[in-house]
Amino acid sequence: MLLAYTSLTLRAFASIGRSLSGRSTLRVHATFVQMVNVGVNSLPTVGLACLFMGLVLAMQSAGQLAQLGATERVADLVSFAMLREIGPLITAVVVIGRSGSSITAELGTMKVSEEIEALEVMAIDPVRYLVVPRLLAMVIMMPCLTIIGEALGLFGGWLLGVNSLSLDPLLYITRSLQAVDLKDLYTGLFKSLVFGFLIGSIACTYGMEVRDGAEGVGRNTTRSVVSCLLAMLGMDAILTAIFFFAT
Amino acid sequence: MSETKSTHALEVRGLVKKFGNRTVLNDISFNLKRGEILVIMGGSGCGKSTLLRHLIGVLKPNEGEIHVLGTDITKLDDDGLAKVRRRFAMMHQFGALLNSLTVGQNVALPLLESGNVSESIADLVVKLKLELVGLTGFEHLKPSEISGGMRKRVGMARALALDPELLFCDEPTSGLDPVMTAVIDQLTLDMVHKLGITAVVVTHDMTSAFRIANKMIMLFEGQIIAQGSPDEIRNNPDPRLQQFIKGEADGPIPLKLSRDDYIKRLLSVD
Ligand SMILES: Nc1ncnc2c1ncn2[C@@H]1O[C@H](COP(=O)(O)OP(=O)(O)O)[C@@H](O)[C@H]1O
Ligand SMILES: [Mg+2]
Repeated sequence: MLLAYTSLTLRAFASIGRSLSGRSTLRVHATFVQMVNVGVNSLPTVGLACLFMGLVLAMQSAGQLAQLGATERVADLVSFAMLREIGPLITAVVVIGRSGSSITAELGTMKVSEEIEALEVMAIDPVRYLVVPRLLAMVIMMPCLTIIGEALGLFGGWLLGVNSLSLDPLLYITRSLQAVDLKDLYTGLFKSLVFGFLIGSIACTYGMEVRDGAEGVGRNTTRSVVSCLLAMLGMDAILTAIFFFAT
Repeated sequence: MSETKSTHALEVRGLVKKFGNRTVLNDISFNLKRGEILVIMGGSGCGKSTLLRHLIGVLKPNEGEIHVLGTDITKLDDDGLAKVRRRFAMMHQFGALLNSLTVGQNVALPLLESGNVSESIADLVVKLKLELVGLTGFEHLKPSEISGGMRKRVGMARALALDPELLFCDEPTSGLDPVMTAVIDQLTLDMVHKLGITAVVVTHDMTSAFRIANKMIMLFEGQIIAQGSPDEIRNNPDPRLQQFIKGEADGPIPLKLSRDDYIKRLLSVD
């Protein structure tokens, strides 16, 4: 599978390269369709998940911080955790479950019903036709989803802080802004971009590698979700080490 | 790459294909002149589709050469193969339409992807080709909304969209009613006689086979047991061939195990 993954990813890059150098065309319209599929349609779920996480973060930290007599620091903690870690992570988890699995299942079904073979026989490169739009859509939409998710997560923290912890609404916002700097936002978004690439490429590989009919589609969809999750968390550890630990 | 200006559209030499240790195609050799219709016959599972998938470069043989339109496609890389593939078209056994697209978009796909056809021209060609296969007015339906036989005919329209030099059809008429079968047969004949293309048709419909063939090949358990003109095939004394042509249940084609074998299989422990 690693070999198939590498080869598919290289072919996707080669295909994008050919499009950029004008030797073939990028399927812009198809990319937008996929952006709606993987991105816009995931928005409600991502938003809700991040809102809940914001509430949870605020509740969990409130107890601890109250013992130190620093309840107002809930704002610091929520914004800090949300931008650096929780926002990209929760968004990726939702997108893996929603869109990663559906990409694998869709490409796998196309493989099984000989649609991909038919494309090849028509001299249409399935990588350019199917994989590149999905991969690009993932890479573009993940940071977009993440930033909206983070906003809702911060809002969740604010809701709880203002309503249950009786913090001053404006002071909460000021504290939030002071607690983080731009680097936290950038690194979080960079993470989400890398996650998007991982999810897109892994989901497409498992889809294109489906064998043995409907059973194979189910099997590879499960494997795709598991691999995406592990790859995403592994990459999270690596990137966090690079950005915040090693430096 | 040797681009020979041969009169053959297709030349296959000593093709052998094994899946694991099972030989599915064994020493297949034949050739086909331009402008002729070759019919490949044989029972289900004898390797017809597998042979076709070699001719279109989807499968690579273990041994042998396959010259399509003058180029040995077994030695080509992806780009070279794509170049040859632009000159032929395939109608798949079950249509192999893209389920996310409508019927019309499916037929337009090869046109638009070829890069030098505008959308209005493509629209026109789609209407023309759908008309040819008797599906006028079905442009806006999805493949899931039409019958299996109709999907096949859309597959035929899509295969004809780019006016190929060489057309491969995998069981184009199985599952069609007799009238539609005749329409598709006539269409194949017209394409060959009026436009001068070459066709390879897999079928086990004998009426249809003798109606269109210039040349016939009978496959049996992965081997060619007879090839020649329709007359030669009709008069071939091979009992397996005669049984197949006449469609009889009794004969040398082993359908059932012998009594002893049957009992042995039943009692054997794998
Ligand atoms: N990808 C494959 N892997 C293993 N065996 C295959 C594969 N494709 C076809 N076969 C086997 O090859 C034989 C011929 O199949 P096929 O060419 O589809 O027959 P048909 O003449 O009905 O079109 C069958 O026994 C089938 O099981
Ligand atoms: Mg078949």
